[in-house]
Amino acid sequence: MSDSDIKFYYFNLQARGELTRLIFAAAGRSYEDIRFGFDTWPEYKPKMILGQCPVLEFADGTQIPQSLTVARYAAREAGLAGSDNLESAKIDAVVDTQRDINEVFYGKVFFEKDEAKKAEEMEKFLTETLVKHVENLGKLKKAYSTNESYFVGDKLSWADLFVFQSIQVLLKAVPEVQGKFGDQFKSLFDAINGNDKLKAYLDARPETDF
Amino acid sequence: MSTYKLYYFNSRGRAEVSRLIFAAAGQKYEDIRYNQDEWPSHKTEMPLGQMPALEFNSTKLPQSKSIARFLAKQFHLAGRDNLEQAKVDAVIDTIDDLIPKLISIFFEQDETKKEELRKKYFDEELPKHFQNLNVLLKEFGNGGPFFVGNHLTWADLYFYDLSETLLGMNGNCLETYPRLKQNREEVEKQPKIAEYLNNRPKTPF
Repeated sequence: MSDSDIKFYYFNLQARGELTRLIFAAAGRSYEDIRFGFDTWPEYKPKMILGQCPVLEFADGTQIPQSLTVARYAAREAGLAGSDNLESAKIDAVVDTQRDINEVFYGKVFFEKDEAKKAEEMEKFLTETLVKHVENLGKLKKAYSTNESYFVGDKLSWADLFVFQSIQVLLKAVPEVQGKFGDQFKSLFDAINGNDKLKAYLDARPETDF
Repeated sequence: MSTYKLYYFNSRGRAEVSRLIFAAAGQKYEDIRYNQDEWPSHKTEMPLGQMPALEFNSTKLPQSKSIARFLAKQFHLAGRDNLEQAKVDAVIDTIDDLIPKLISIFFEQDETKKEELRKKYFDEELPKHFQNLNVLLKEFGNGGPFFVGNHLTWADLYFYDLSETLLGMNGNCLETYPRLKQNREEVEKQPKIAEYLNNRPKTPF
């Protein structure tokens, strides 16, 4: 089943939408990639089930909100959510762990307006939070992975895509992360860039603010 | 035969939804509760040094929602196909949206500020998310009292548990949300859940 009768509504940004786009890309699944700016969002907002985006909409008008829920749905359809319930749960655990860090980064660092506070929070993030996070990801990988390139089992899952996307965004926003932690993610980045469908998508995707 | 061990503190917190799932399923498990003194010596036994953690046979899982979703799927309380599961997950995430500002209240030390935050939460924050839950119940509930598909799923159990905490802080908070109130009542009526609620340890949160 692959048809452009499935619509994905989000801003012309990566942010909370890109994970689902990556999953569709890895699956080779076609969909209508509806993107809007902050100026045109007011036209879409009343049509969204909870007045928020991203939203996944089916041909019969059913809408699913909530970014990670949409991503998990897409991943399950694509066979990127584990081969049994336990594997799915391990993948969910890696996703939740990455999500916790993303929320701290966006909540306390990225959107902080006060320059002094931002610098303070950034320092804390780099020296404490991110250090612990990389350790945690390492622990989960050790427990769940049977292939160096992937977090869970022996094949690509949406956990790999989520960590890849999140770290890529972090590297762009905070270049010194590359020097400190780049090595830890080399096998993941190699695996993603070595996947034909993903490489093609990554090379072609639009440049966006974030 | 599979074995289940759930590790948490002696409170409802982030583990209770899993306990409710076990109860609804009639599934035996070891309900391990560490007090504050014992916890430090067990920290390194948990995958990420945190609780709750689930030990399923010989595998350990962290992250409360992932644990709950796993259990719900094991016991057919997660939705009947991928689309239903997505509807359930969407309700779960929307219930979760209630939590960040709630936590801010708990962490506030200054009593005056705390009361201000509490009032703002129940006047502004809670209505936003309760209205969203009303929408989802209407869209996904197939006309019944449960959030998804006219049958009990862990979405109903998750709402039951968080709304219990909210009612503890403001006993009237469900009064203008009759469908959400009815949803709670349906959960409480389920025989296995009623029995569990009667017998579980009583903890403040």
